[in-house]
This record gives sequence, C-alpha cells and structure tokens, in this order.
Amino acid sequence: MRRVIAIIAIIVTAVLLQSTVFSQLQLLGVRPELLYLVTILIALNEGPSEGAIVGFTCGLAQDMFLDQPMGITALTLTLLGYAVGMARQYIVSPSPLVPTIVVAVATALGVGFYEIVTYLLGQFDAGFTYAVKVALLTAAYNAVLTPILSPLLRRIVEGSRPRRVVRL
Amino acid sequence: MAARSGPRNTRLLVVGLVVLSLTIITVDYREGDSGPLAAMGRSARTFMAPLQEAVTNATRPVGNFFSGVAHLPSLAQENTDLKAQVADLQARIDATSQIELQNQELLDLLNLKRIYPTGIPAVVIAKSPSNFSSSMTIDVGSDAGIKENQPVVTGSQDGARLVGIVASVTTNSADVRLLIDQSFNVAGKLASSGAIGLVQGNGDQDLTMQDIPATTKFPPSGTPESVFTVSYHVGDQHGRFPPNILIGTVSKVYEGVQPDAQVSISPAVDFSSLETVLVLPTVDGSGS
Repeated sequence: MRRVIAIIAIIVTAVLLQSTVFSQLQLLGVRPELLYLVTILIALNEGPSEGAIVGFTCGLAQDMFLDQPMGITALTLTLLGYAVGMARQYIVSPSPLVPTIVVAVATALGVGFYEIVTYLLGQFDAGFTYAVKVALLTAAYNAVLTPILSPLLRRIVEGSRPRRVVRL
Repeated sequence: MAARSGPRNTRLLVVGLVVLSLTIITVDYREGDSGPLAAMGRSARTFMAPLQEAVTNATRPVGNFFSGVAHLPSLAQENTDLKAQVADLQARIDATSQIELQNQELLDLLNLKRIYPTGIPAVVIAKSPSNFSSSMTIDVGSDAGIKENQPVVTGSQDGARLVGIVASVTTNSADVRLLIDQSFNVAGKLASSGAIGLVQGNGDQDLTMQDIPATTKFPPSGTPESVFTVSYHVGDQHGRFPPNILIGTVSKVYEGVQPDAQVSISPAVDFSSLETVLVLPTVDGSGS
C-alpha cells in the first residue's frame, strides 16, 4: 500500500510540474516530457510489469490534461515501460551513463511512437521535420534531467518497498 | 504493484493494458466531450487546478528566469533594437520590479474591461503539458460563467489583442486554445486594404494568413501592417470573434502565391509571459 501511494504521489507531482514549471522551460520551442522520464526510470529499476503499470497510469494522467482523445499517451507509455523493463536484462554495463543513454533513446522512440499514433488518428498536423525535432530535443532534455531525477526517484521507490521479515 | 511476476503474466498484463488503452481511445474518440472519460478528465482538472495555481504562483519568478534564458536568441535581436531607444527612455525608468509589471498588466486589464464590461478577468495558472498543442489553463470556469467558444483577449484601453478561444470548461478552470495552436482558425482583415483572409496558427512559427485576394495591394516593405479580427453573420450564424481585435502584424508577404496572396503574421501577444487575460462573451450574446 505504501508503495502504491508513493508511486501515485510521484505521478501526481510529475503531472503538476509538467503542466506548470516545465511547460515554461522550453528549449528551442520544446518541453521536457517528465512523465516519459518517470516511466523509463521506474521500468529501468523495477522491470517490465511495474514499467507497464506505471507507464499506463502516467499516460492516462497526462491524457486528462490534453486536448485530444484520451488513451494515446497511456498506450505509448505502457509499451515504453514494458520495452524498457524488458531491455534492462540486456544492459550489463555498470557505467553511470547507462540510465542517461537509455532515457535519451527511449524518450526519442516513445515520442516518435506517440507522433505516429496521433498522425494515424488525424490529431497531428505538424510536418516530419518538426516531429523529428521534437523527438530529438525532448530526448536530449530528458537525458539532461536524468542525473538529477534518477537518484531521487530510486530513493523514493526503494524506500517504499515492503521490508522482508525473516523469522528464525 | 505486481512487480515480481513471471514472463507469461507480464505479457498478459501488457496485453491487457494495451487493450484497455485502445478501448479508452475508441470510447473517448466516439463520445467526445459528452462521454464519461471526458467527464473524468474534467474532474481531474478541477482537482488539479488549485494545485497548479499554487505551484505556478510559487515558481513564477524561477520560471520567468529560465523562460528568459530559453528565449535568448530572440531577446538578443530585441536588445539590439531597444539599445537605440535606451537613451530616451533612461530618464523615465526609475525602477522596474515584478510587482510593478504585474500592476501594469492588471491596470491594462481593468482598462480593457471598460471596453468590454461583461468580460471576465482571469489569471493563467498552467500551460499545455504537450509539445503538440498550444493551450493554457485559466483560473475561472463555469462557476464564473465561462462557456466554450468564448474569445479570450489581453491588451489595454488602446485595444484588445487576441489570445485564443475557450476550448473546454470545468467548474473552477478553463482551457484556452491559443492563437498559435495549429488547429486555430480566425477570419482576419488587413488594416490598410481591408482585404480578408483566413489566419491559422502555426506553432512556434509566425501565423499564416491565406485566401487573400490576389489583387490586394500591400504597403511598401518596412511599413507595419496590422491584422484585426473581422466579424460576420449569415442568417443565425455568427463569427466567433468580435471585430477589430488585434491579431498581429504582417512579417512577410508572399505575393507570387497563386491563386491567392499569403502573408506571415507575428502575433501581437507574447504567450511566454502572459499572466492575465479577459474572457469575452460570445458574439451571439451567449456566455456571460
């Protein structure tokens, strides 16, 4: 229960920051995608099941604040959380740069997938160049935020994990 | 959380969530604003609006600083232009502070309200979280009489400037689709010739005005040309905006485009620093 509350608190805080503080922090017209970052980092730490559940919840939360059909971000982040969670078993390098690189690549792919789905649903009017620009800049932006947010998220998630009691 | 499950259970979970997402997309797409999911979204926005307002108020100075840093390239050009005026203005500048700027903005809004006495003043509490839509959230909703499709403006007694239109409303907040959103359309009129065309949002780029008659005469290059809203009514149908609200100034003319002329328009409003707006009643008189 503690864990669910901790993750819901993370998601609500992320939505709040994304719609207020980070909506003003545009770099070349692009904002970071905090909900993508939360999904990727949790999937990277906790695996595919939690990645998918947190991704779905994050996506649905963000969808409620968008002026387009609900569920598109939920679909994107569910698949992104699952894919990153599955990919972590192939990551063997202990380098501290790994989370940053994973976040950059996964954000670019996630935003790209979101753009394709919105395009197919007739909700994306911008051109191909703009789509690529947004995917790459968002990836770079999220990568820059990773060293700041990754330890914080890991501490919260691990702190909320149920403690194992060993009886002798 | 179902964290330590086997691969088969995980796959089933993901398939379930994907199917759920697709169901949500389909239901929301079909039901539109009247469906249960839209109502859920409105409830969530109602719940979050006070939190967003508090966070925005607390972080506005920091946000403004970073916003300024992000706009450095355009500020550099603006700075060059303004340097020529600094000598004249120096004597008049005693002190500028955040409170004075806010005070000025509120005075402008008060003056604007004298022109539109039924307008409802509002404070911007959040901006779109997405890179693919340009909208903002204001701190008044249906409780204050806000309805969908009401025009939103800013400016002063010298004249109103178009901000956007109310796209959706909750009891205590409303989402405003901005003029620069790619799905935004408004009929515009060139000040010098009176030629009418369709102005469309273009994201970060300047607005585009199309369908201008090819015979339109434009003022010589360098002469500022303003674009205003134009109102119309055909039978019972009215245009969505009152006339003579400033949309922006022409930044580029494409006269060779056939069969009609086309221009780019620089918006009159700086959306990155917008803090207060006035919501006008709809042209047909509904709304507040």
